[in-house]
Amino acid sequence: MLVRIGNIRVPMRPDSDRSPDVLADGGSEATSSAADPVRDDDWAGLLSAIDADGDLDPDELRMLMRIMLLIRKVDRAWGDAYLEGEVEGIPPSLSTGQEAVSAGASAGLQPGDFQFTTHRGQAPMVASGLDPGRILADLYMRSDGYNSGKSYHVTDVERGVIGMGGIIGAQVPVAGGKALAQQFRDDGGVSLAYFGDGTANEGAIHETANLAAMWDLPLIMLCENNEYNITQRVDEAVKAPSVASRAAGYGIPGDLVDGNDPIAVFEAVRDAAERARSGDGPTLIEAQTVRLDGHLTHDPQKYRSDGEIADRWTQCPIRRFRERLAAEDVLSKEEFDEMKAEVESEVEAAVEFARESPYPEPEEAYEDLWA
Amino acid sequence: MGVTDTETRLLDRNRLLDRNAFRRDAPPSEEEEGAPSFRGALREAMREEMRRDESVFQMGEDIATAPPFGVTSGLADEFGRDRIRNIPASEVAVMGAAAGAGIDGMRAIVEFQFGDFLSVAIDQLTHQAAMLRHLTGGQVSIPMVVRLPCGGGESTGPQHSQTMHSWFAHAPGIKVAVPSSATDAKGLLKTAIRDDNPVLFFEHKSLYGTRWAVPDEFEDPDFTIPFGEAAIRRSGSDITVVATMTMVEHALAAAETLADDGISVEVIDPRTVEPLDTDTIVESVRKTGRLLAVDEAYLSCGIQGEIVSQITEQAFDSLEAEPRRLGNPGVPVPFSPPLEDEVLPSTDDIVDEVRSLVAD
Repeated sequence: MLVRIGNIRVPMRPDSDRSPDVLADGGSEATSSAADPVRDDDWAGLLSAIDADGDLDPDELRMLMRIMLLIRKVDRAWGDAYLEGEVEGIPPSLSTGQEAVSAGASAGLQPGDFQFTTHRGQAPMVASGLDPGRILADLYMRSDGYNSGKSYHVTDVERGVIGMGGIIGAQVPVAGGKALAQQFRDDGGVSLAYFGDGTANEGAIHETANLAAMWDLPLIMLCENNEYNITQRVDEAVKAPSVASRAAGYGIPGDLVDGNDPIAVFEAVRDAAERARSGDGPTLIEAQTVRLDGHLTHDPQKYRSDGEIADRWTQCPIRRFRERLAAEDVLSKEEFDEMKAEVESEVEAAVEFARESPYPEPEEAYEDLWA
Repeated sequence: MGVTDTETRLLDRNRLLDRNAFRRDAPPSEEEEGAPSFRGALREAMREEMRRDESVFQMGEDIATAPPFGVTSGLADEFGRDRIRNIPASEVAVMGAAAGAGIDGMRAIVEFQFGDFLSVAIDQLTHQAAMLRHLTGGQVSIPMVVRLPCGGGESTGPQHSQTMHSWFAHAPGIKVAVPSSATDAKGLLKTAIRDDNPVLFFEHKSLYGTRWAVPDEFEDPDFTIPFGEAAIRRSGSDITVVATMTMVEHALAAAETLADDGISVEVIDPRTVEPLDTDTIVESVRKTGRLLAVDEAYLSCGIQGEIVSQITEQAFDSLEAEPRRLGNPGVPVPFSPPLEDEVLPSTDDIVDEVRSLVAD
């Protein structure tokens, strides 16, 4: 039996006339690919593709760009499937505008590190090399997903991605525990927990920050400040000048970075990971970013003005990074278009894979409860 | 299927039934000299498992320095402060840390100073530790034990006297142990530590200072007691009394009184309420035809009701009287002794209920 979570889908495209599609300009028509979307098992996304020890070379910058495009397209595929009624249930939570955070963070980590995601968690999954086909199969509630239909907080323990986010903030104490185990085993691993500006006010965050500080745990607490806790602006919820400024109260380094610049996030995470690996304990990073879609896909964002949303689109991290790479002769317009077409066809194939994946058998509901 | 346990015996029942027994901790009597205590049994279980498996470690308030109930006394000397970790007052972070370390195969034993404090960390337990395996399609397992001093009868006040095992036996993915003797304390705790799932381990405060006659295998480092296997602590033919933790001794005391009236009481201790050994209880009720379920839990939606339901569904045609429950009728456990005694089941309450059921 397929249980549906209420009839909360709304038959509209809330962003259709307010959100320019940054990917629409100049791109060629994508062609469908028959390629099997299941990736090479060794691929660990940006964790393995980027040498986190130094600065980024042109190949690595192009890889960052490609991953940001892939994040947006995978997210958009889920959002579209929901709006078109192809998938039901809880409305998708998209990272539109926040792609640089997960891309930069994943680039700053290494294979063997762990990331604990949020309800807005597809971005780190894609950046960490999870198969877009299997991610979408999870989001389509099918049996070929990583979680086999049990949850959409996609986990791939092999690639160090633990999908959490049903209860905001709850991933942070668990990430602290993984960091404690990494410290016990002295395996050089680091754990990174994402959370939002709204979640920054949850007690779990404060307890874990203090515990990690006391024990010098190899933990990175990465706050994605996208300005909104659903409808509440961050300045109505956080009295401190920034979330990062709270780090002083925990006795740990705090780093406030431009979350729409993947290089800035990369450098902050790389440096925090280096401190963590050296036994110097946790870091709180606040990546200031923008939420360009609603809280969930059906959210028409009536609490934001058209002017505000248009202004935030000028900060779209994909647009900014594309312009920068073009100006620095790292990625021409033609190369970008080609990359975009490749990504689109990869995601089309991924959607096809998800669509063709069967629903789980009913009796599978009883599996995987007990170890 | 359950086992008959006639070798485990509480040496001085007054040590358990006296108010504030856990604080008085009178010196052992001649008979008690050298006999293991409930507290010591728990400590030895942890010592043996920490020697056996380097991935076992502990977190709790003051456990390395001055553990309030003395269960972990001396362990930091042997295992060091990394493996016996004092924690700040942060139940949420610590419950999560145990779960996260479990992803890595580390086996945390967490002590909360009073089991009631579990309420502070419920999300980390029920939604994270208990669900992560299922919601990831079986990709991770979370081995961890949370030790919870619990129970009333000691005037520790409403927020330090509850037995909250029913809350968590209700939630999927958590095993729940409720030992009543030193033998079970040791055997069940070792099983809990070796289990690959989250386990809540409820330790009744009144039991800590009790001393026990135990079977020979108690000293064997490989001695464990499986979960989901009830112990038949007294055989009888007229009524089945299912009791947990301190209520087992109340039931045994009641059975002795009732024997003088010619009423034969079978006393079953489930030892774990998740998994619950319903087979043994059903088999017993098929023999006796009567059931009384006794526990300190609040009656509404309590574990007693679950036992009654199982019997009603599985042994209805064997029943000669309606199955009954004894428990806290549903008020906070009060501070003052006359009030506390009023709401908790007692030996006399069990005697009265059994007489009434058998007379019917």
